[in-house]
Amino acid sequence: MNPAFLPTLPFALSYPLLFGTLLIAGMLGGEAARILRLPRVLGYVVVGFVIAPLAAALNLDPLIEQARIFVDLALGLVLFDLGRRMNLQWFKRDWTLAATSLAENALAFGAVFATLIAFDYPAVKAALAAAIAMATSPAVLLIVVQDTRAEGQVTERALNLVALNSLFASILSTILLVSAQLEARIDVDQALLLPFYLFVGSLLLGFGMASFARVIARWVEKTRDMHFTLIAGLVVVAVGLATILKLSVILALLAFGLFSRNDERSHDLLNVNLAPASRLLYIVLFVITGASLPLTLLAAGGVAAIALVAARAAAKFAGVLAFAPFGVLRLRQAAGLGAALMPMSTIALMLQFDVARHFPQFGQDLTAVFLSAVIMMEIAGPIATQWGLRLAGDTAPEERTTTAPSAFPGTQGSP
Amino acid sequence: MPLEFTRSDPLTFGVELELMVLNTHDYNLVRGAPDLLARLEKVDLEGEVKPEITESMIEVNSAVNTRYGELLDELLHVRDAIVVAADRLNVAVAGGGSHPFHKWKERRIFQGERFQRVSGLYGYLAKQFTVFGQHIHVGVASGDDAIHLTHGLARYIPHFIALSASSPFSQGEDTSFETSRLHAISAFPLSGHMPPVKTWAEFGRYFDEMALYGIVASMKDFYWDIRPKPEYGTVEIRICDTPLTVECAAQIAAYAQTLAADLLRHRGAEPVEPLYRVYGYNRFQACRFGFDAALVDPWARRHVTLRDDLLATLERLEPCATELGTAIPLLSLASCAARSLNDSRWLRERLEETKSLPDVVRLQAARWRDDPRGLSRDSSVLADRAPT
Repeated sequence: MNPAFLPTLPFALSYPLLFGTLLIAGMLGGEAARILRLPRVLGYVVVGFVIAPLAAALNLDPLIEQARIFVDLALGLVLFDLGRRMNLQWFKRDWTLAATSLAENALAFGAVFATLIAFDYPAVKAALAAAIAMATSPAVLLIVVQDTRAEGQVTERALNLVALNSLFASILSTILLVSAQLEARIDVDQALLLPFYLFVGSLLLGFGMASFARVIARWVEKTRDMHFTLIAGLVVVAVGLATILKLSVILALLAFGLFSRNDERSHDLLNVNLAPASRLLYIVLFVITGASLPLTLLAAGGVAAIALVAARAAAKFAGVLAFAPFGVLRLRQAAGLGAALMPMSTIALMLQFDVARHFPQFGQDLTAVFLSAVIMMEIAGPIATQWGLRLAGDTAPEERTTTAPSAFPGTQGSP
Repeated sequence: MPLEFTRSDPLTFGVELELMVLNTHDYNLVRGAPDLLARLEKVDLEGEVKPEITESMIEVNSAVNTRYGELLDELLHVRDAIVVAADRLNVAVAGGGSHPFHKWKERRIFQGERFQRVSGLYGYLAKQFTVFGQHIHVGVASGDDAIHLTHGLARYIPHFIALSASSPFSQGEDTSFETSRLHAISAFPLSGHMPPVKTWAEFGRYFDEMALYGIVASMKDFYWDIRPKPEYGTVEIRICDTPLTVECAAQIAAYAQTLAADLLRHRGAEPVEPLYRVYGYNRFQACRFGFDAALVDPWARRHVTLRDDLLATLERLEPCATELGTAIPLLSLASCAARSLNDSRWLRERLEETKSLPDVVRLQAARWRDDPRGLSRDSSVLADRAPT
């Protein structure tokens, strides 16, 4: 007898079970990292590293592949949040910030490009990899900022610089990708039209979403709960629309966030705190990121990967330090800012996936080098960011364990 | 060792303004003071800009002035310098007695021996003390004059509360008070008013006794609403919320200067004890109801509304004000009182309009920097009340 109400073996794994498991496992990994005084993000990623072989053994790989939806949503929230914290006026008011942005991007591109050329990779591929390497991971930075309750000049500058380098990386890599595809038969119209479509289209989408959000906001009750639902929903819609329209998710969501900022005249939208809810998605994002990185490639990357990581790090530090003497940052803060720009994770991976999909010739060898570099930075990046923010004095003092009150009014008067 | 009182020129005056440092995305308090102060060190200013107990506050100290116009010019100059420095750092600065929605737990105590010691002693009170006040110093010739003036000004404390009130919100709530800032101060053991001593010598004995008990080490340990400041040779009025504009701050300072001139000139012989018996009640009334407060006049044994009392006082001070050059600012204050306009009302109206405290703070910051959208109450008052 086999009653129909009983489950059949083997059990089919469902999304809820997968999501919940990844979430709890990631959270526990994060706590373990915190106890070791390491960034929580690192814990999430390591859990991913551990889960990957288990998932492969249980034949769960496709499910994790399909869980990309969580990654996209998490990324949407990260970029929206980042866009909201961007202040374009600031780049005008402090020219050193704009100069730092250009310098760190140009130097990172140049250094990585030169390194890969030195390792005999063809120029087109080297340029693609270098473009992607310009991006710092916004998700890592945001999570470290939240966890250390960092605030101050270095934190704000890092967030603004990361928004821009993510943007530059995505635009440049897309343009290079198209020109690589067209290398054989260069079609000037298309080569010019694509960046135009990407740029203007994504900006318009972001602007449209923000305007739409304001219109709806006027109709619903102005409470945190309502506006939270509104924003979260529209962020998901924006990710979906950008994908359908083949626009840049990165630019569209940054623009959505940027145009959602209130000013003296318009304040329809509440500036809701997305952090607690988005943390759920971020944890899953990093566990999946960890799980999708083949650790075996770490060795395959070899010297080239180490050189790539070193060149990128040196370039970003140089870009920040070059303009520090003219700006408001002290040396300590500038060094901290350089360190905060180190993480290389989701954006780079996403761009790399896109490149690999559209341009298979990118090749196994360069993919290995690149992913190996990402794995290294997946570990070193969060540590560098946390260290940098601490060095700059932006992080909150660590919670001290409660001690008996030592001060007694009678002691106050003593000199 | 007797407490020395440094003589200063009578009726010279100056102000201290505690200001909030804000981020520009959700307008919460932000750790910006160290960077802002480092920028301002490079600017040539008459007074001084200093750190305060948490890293989200700065304090502007004006130079010693003799005329209202000079003080106003100086404050406008400092304000503009701060705005430029803040813009470069992507932070905003604003007036107001309290931040409407910050959580005191998140504040960080400024590095420095005294601040850390105060924090160690008072625990969470020190972080709750993230409130923003205006202090006004008025110079006096002797310690005895300082004692006389401290008692004399006590009667007018409710006026200063109502005129400067700009902290209706606290920890994300409308407190229903015109100023909620004073609750943070009342929690300290040495708050309140000076004891009814009559001379500087008598005050010196009181101070020595408190020092002997180990309760105080310096005058700074008294958190009174008005206190003599022997190092500067002044009487310091500490009751005011920081107004939303430097113009208003200068007007209130002008009122203090004019009152002081009047009190030093016409010395009555009324005993101070009856006043101090109703002091706490009157102070509460002013904090809660502002211009509509019902004050107890202990000598006349009757109630009087704060607005009427203030308007009558301003009228009485007219000759003195003309002499000191404070007639115009006092006229502005009278107009505000008559129309029940103060910064708390302005803030509540902004909340009504925006339904969001972060947006209220944004407008508050715009008002401080004199953004045209700041809906300056002062200019409109001057426009319809200035003598032609």
